Amino acid sequence: MTLAIVHLLPELLGTYGDRGNVEIASWRLKQRGIAHEVITVGVWDKVPTSADLYFLGGGEDDAQIAAREILEQDAALQKALNNGGHIFAVCAGFQLLGASFPASRKRTITGLGILPIETLATSPRSVGEILSQPTISVATLTGFENHGGQTRFLEELQPLGRVLRGVGNGLHSNVDGVVTDQIIATYMHGPAFARNPELADWVLARKVGELAPLSAPIFNELHAERVASN
Amino acid sequence: MLRIIIWVASVLGWVSRVTKRGNGVMVTGRVILKLSPHAVATLAKNRKVVLISGTNGKTTTTSLIYHALAAQSKVVSNFTGANLFAGLATALSKEMSASVAVLEVDEMVLPWAIAQTKPELVVLLNLGRDQLDRLSEVRIVAQKWKEAMKTLPPKCAVLADADDPFVTWAARDWSDVIWFSSGATGHIDASTCPECGAILDWNDGGNDYVCECGFRKPSVDWILRSGELTGPHNQKITVHSAIPGFAAIGNAARAIIAAGIFGIPLQESARSIAQVSSVGGRFGELKIGKSTFRLLLSKNPASWRETLETSASGPNAVALVVNANTQDGKDTSWLWDVDFTPLRGRKVVVTGQRRLDVSARLTVNEIPHQIAEDEAEAAEIFGAVQADVIASYTAFHRLAKLVKRS
Ligand SMILES: [Zn+2]
Repeated sequence: MTLAIVHLLPELLGTYGDRGNVEIASWRLKQRGIAHEVITVGVWDKVPTSADLYFLGGGEDDAQIAAREILEQDAALQKALNNGGHIFAVCAGFQLLGASFPASRKRTITGLGILPIETLATSPRSVGEILSQPTISVATLTGFENHGGQTRFLEELQPLGRVLRGVGNGLHSNVDGVVTDQIIATYMHGPAFARNPELADWVLARKVGELAPLSAPIFNELHAERVASN
Repeated sequence: MLRIIIWVASVLGWVSRVTKRGNGVMVTGRVILKLSPHAVATLAKNRKVVLISGTNGKTTTTSLIYHALAAQSKVVSNFTGANLFAGLATALSKEMSASVAVLEVDEMVLPWAIAQTKPELVVLLNLGRDQLDRLSEVRIVAQKWKEAMKTLPPKCAVLADADDPFVTWAARDWSDVIWFSSGATGHIDASTCPECGAILDWNDGGNDYVCECGFRKPSVDWILRSGELTGPHNQKITVHSAIPGFAAIGNAARAIIAAGIFGIPLQESARSIAQVSSVGGRFGELKIGKSTFRLLLSKNPASWRETLETSASGPNAVALVVNANTQDGKDTSWLWDVDFTPLRGRKVVVTGQRRLDVSARLTVNEIPHQIAEDEAEAAEIFGAVQADVIASYTAFHRLAKLVKRS
């Protein structure tokens, strides 16, 4: 079986090196000889609904709204989830999965309604290193965040991490991101999979099962350096 | 009064430089602005001012325009790349008799610089992602420019890059825009229309764009293709640059057009510009250990792409130096926006504060490389060879001090 990875709208959602997560996922699978393909979905392409793993990155306001318009057609992502697909979403990608998110000129945009969350405009922007204690069994999480909105849960949800440094979801929640059975989301870019190899493998293993160990010390060194310097 | 302030400020700047406590340019400018907040406006009065701004190419374009205009008039400029408030004040305080000022301006400082200096010409280069932790979204910078255009003095000309949708959007309301196309294609940050937010439709191999709302690439006045610059009255000139790379030819063309606005014949400015081979240490030569390095600056995804392409025809050995100080941008995530495959087959060493980030990126890009503590260790690895060193902002400025003056 070939694992199908979908890179959603990189022209719109890829402001903070977000394509890196897709490249790293693909590289880690390749090192282990796991067959997979990366399907890049551009703005004029149809979103496949039966792939295994979907990546959503961060983006500027207008791009985020344009991405929402594309993704809401045929409720493609909801169908993908119904078909057993998983989503890894960062920043603007995280926000647009919720009920609503803010945009420039004080507008509030309806989200895809996949997650029971909402994002509110805040000022100043949340910019800087972020460090969090994960709620899943991986090492301390490290990333860089840069977002104008902050996010709150409308129902009880499991966050991805408890914030040790930085803002994350903000609004006094002291948590970052969210974990559901099929979705992992976070405000960490950096990208998250480069700095957090265990998170990368955790997301992949949920879909492909237990992974063989991988010797790639550079990622562990990078992780250790980023955690130590924060 | 201002003369005394400038004298005091220069002395303090000199003291700070010789005692190695700080950057003399910054100290001088800060003191001037502290003691005389309107100094820039006063110093710019009765001078013809050219402002140059954009994400990439500011320093080079400023230097080329300076060289073109200096053939005719006495000119002051901020060569050192000090392009914030204090840097502008310092540049203007030098050579009181100069009738022209050619100033590189930080993108966010441009509105202030326009208000203060009442320029005759504003050169808008390009807008792309850069130091997002400081500058935030590209569109927000474009918005600031768009508002600043409303404050231009009536006779001001704007030389703007029509290939860049953000520049076009910012400049297009102004009455006197000279549109230029260097032939640059695509724009990683302009997938949506700056005017309405709809998806922008890119055509002609990424050199043309149009939106359903009516926003589109303007018809250009000056067009550069394969080194030939053609003007609105069918003027033609071959553009030569001693500075390597595609971007350098575009910047040379801009300087020729800008000098033309000041009445300098194209051939004449083309000749002065063609002699400039190194600007502020860019492409300069320095010796570390046994290796001879050529120094290249790279700051953001667009400039890395350009630099990697330029460097590809250089020596086999190449060192990458990436820092993440405030001036570099503290966020290194942009590394993943750069495709480093042009480095394949070369001998690559990475160093700088964020060498682990770079190493992780190159690992996934499948580019064999070594990690070094610093440039000296990189030189030990290379040995007695020619090598390129591509450095981020703060590393570049440290290394530029070692460049041999030719
Ligand atoms: Zn439009």
